[in-house]
Formats: sequence, structure tokens, C-alpha cells
Amino acid sequence: MSEHLSPRVNSARLPNFVGKTVRLPCKVISFNGPSAKVQASDGGEVTVVLGAGMDIQDTFVEIVGTVTDPTTIKTMACINMGDKLDLKLTNDTIEMMYDPRFTKIFF
Amino acid sequence: MSQYDSYYGSGGGGGGGGGFLQGGSPFSQTGSPGGTQRSEASMSMRPITTNQFQKTEQPHGDAPWSLEGIEIGHVTVVGQVISMQQHTTNHIYNIEDGFGRVEARHWVGTTGNTEAEIEKWSGIEEGIYVRVSGFLKSFGNKKYINASYMRPVTDFNEVDFHFLECATVTMMLERGTPHSARAGGQKTVGAGSSAYQVNNAMDTQDEYSSLAPLQQQIIRFLVSQDNKDGVHVGVIARALGKADLDAEKLSSALDALLDSGHLFNTIDENHFALSR
Repeated sequence: MSEHLSPRVNSARLPNFVGKTVRLPCKVISFNGPSAKVQASDGGEVTVVLGAGMDIQDTFVEIVGTVTDPTTIKTMACINMGDKLDLKLTNDTIEMMYDPRFTKIFF
Repeated sequence: MSQYDSYYGSGGGGGGGGGFLQGGSPFSQTGSPGGTQRSEASMSMRPITTNQFQKTEQPHGDAPWSLEGIEIGHVTVVGQVISMQQHTTNHIYNIEDGFGRVEARHWVGTTGNTEAEIEKWSGIEEGIYVRVSGFLKSFGNKKYINASYMRPVTDFNEVDFHFLECATVTMMLERGTPHSARAGGQKTVGAGSSAYQVNNAMDTQDEYSSLAPLQQQIIRFLVSQDNKDGVHVGVIARALGKADLDAEKLSSALDALLDSGHLFNTIDENHFALSR
């Protein structure tokens, strides 16, 4: 199933997905012109390049975009996820998805 | 709790390779039209990922759907609405959860109260996360979820919850419930109320076995009481009747059981009943 694939990732997984589409649940740290610095669920910092009409409002967002290099994502869409998200839970869930015992459920 | 019971129940049938005869059923049309083949699974709701949705199969038009050999009834999916098309008779939603895509169709006007229905579905927009439930259908070669329910996700921990629940349920169907003596073994709960006397409670292996001892004792006492109207906290305290049982411990155990959803309050906050 490569079609419509945009797996959830943390910053540690990004090197495996260069050129691919991913979903990065994260906490917004700062804005810097057309890009923003975010903290991924595993604590790593990632730069997200924003496009027109991207509306980051909440503390927590999910960035859907293409990985251009292991610390940068070019955003295609942004989903606001409110100000209450357990990033540790998110990270544990992400790690479970890539655990060989569970991969067949997700990939 | 009833939905979990369904999971456990279907775990018994599917995991043990019992009731559902995938190979045989297409040829038994003359004998039993439908009826007997329909198991508990067809009435239960299973959380799945879109990837699992892609793997569901239906051997022929009237057969039950199955996922990796386990019968599947209703399903629930959490994902992002990528696109929606609203036609007069039906709405089509394309939903992605990162692992694939599903199409959910909602047939408008099936409930008889169209206005309430439109109201209920009006919160769905492109781009948002939703939880959708329904049963599987196919049209031509295309599978879709015939959606009976859809709502926006507002607490986004639900997304993680859903993925974890998918994994939990899949594991449980494959291997049986945690602590069950036989993989996919029978449901031991309710096998006879005498088994739940407080004294031998700890020997029982079932879905409650992972709870703290005091919580288990409370549960097993309530199982033995089988009282839907709730049991007063005083009665529980007397039944457990231990010298070292102080009110604080009991109430924190009850609170923990309430929080985890095993119990609920009935007529007032001093009465407790089992959620099952």
C-alpha cells in the first residue's frame, strides 16, 4: 500500500522518509517568516516550511508534508490539534507502529 | 463495557478457529440461509486502520466480511477527511489515517428525520479528523464503509487511542485476552456466580486479573451480586469485611475503577454497578 501513504513520524524517523509524505504531530515553538520551528513527539526540533493559507493556531498541530531533508518538512497541510495533546503518548504510539510485531496492522 | 465484551467474545470464536467456516460456508446455501452463520462478531464493532480496511475480504456477496480470517461486523476508523462530495442521496467522504484511504458513504434520509440528520452531519468539513463507524459494503469492485455515524475528533489523543486500540484488539483476536489460560479460550466471566466468592477471587483469570487485588475483590463481589441498580458502598465494605480495610483505601479503589470505566454510579454516588 504505497498509495495515499503518509505515516505518522517523530523526528528520529525522518531520515527514513526523505522525499516521502509524512504526518508529524508536534508542538509549535516559534515562527520565523515563512517557516516555523516545531518540536516533534520525541523532542527533536524540526523546521517546517509553510505554504500560503496554512493556519497554525493551536499549541499542537499535525504537519502533513514532504520531507526535504532529515530536519525539514515542506508543509502541504496543517491540522490544528488543540492545546492538550500527550506528546509522549503520541511518541509511544508512533514507535509501536514501526515495531515489527505490529507493522502488519499499519503498513 | 459491552463493546469490549464483544471483542472478547469474538476473540473466542475467531481466535480459536471456531464458528466461522470461511471455506465451507459458500456451499451451504441450501441448508441454512444466513442465520446460523452469523456470529457475535457481525454485531460487534471493531476498530481498524485504513490499512486493515484494504485487507478485508468478502468471499461472495452474502458472506460475512473478514479480516485475516476473522469475521468482522461493524468497524470504526479515525482519520482525516481528505475530500467530500455531497450528492442529493448520499455523501461520499474520503478518509485517510496515514496508512491508506477509505471511502465512507452516508446515505441521506435513511433515518426518517432528515433535518436532525443534516444537523448531526454538518460539523464534518474537509481537512478535519473524524471518527466514522459503519459496516462494510462493496459496489462493483470497490469497498466502502456504509457510515452510520461520523463526528469530528475534538480531543486529539483519540487519534493515538484509536491506533493503540486497533493494535490491542488485533492482538487479542489473534492470541486471546491477556491472562486467559487458553488462547482464544472461552469467556470465563460469569461462568457461575459461586466462582466469585471473595475468598477464591484471586484464582480467577479473566479480563479483571490485571487489576489491583482490592479492585478485583470489589469487582468480583459486584459480579456475584449481579445488581443493575447498584450496590451501596457500605455493603461492599461489609462484604470485603477486612480489618485492615480503611475507608480511604476503599474509596480510592472505587475511584480508580470508576476512572477506568469498570464501574459506574447508579442512583447516587454511593451506589456502584458493573459496566458490563
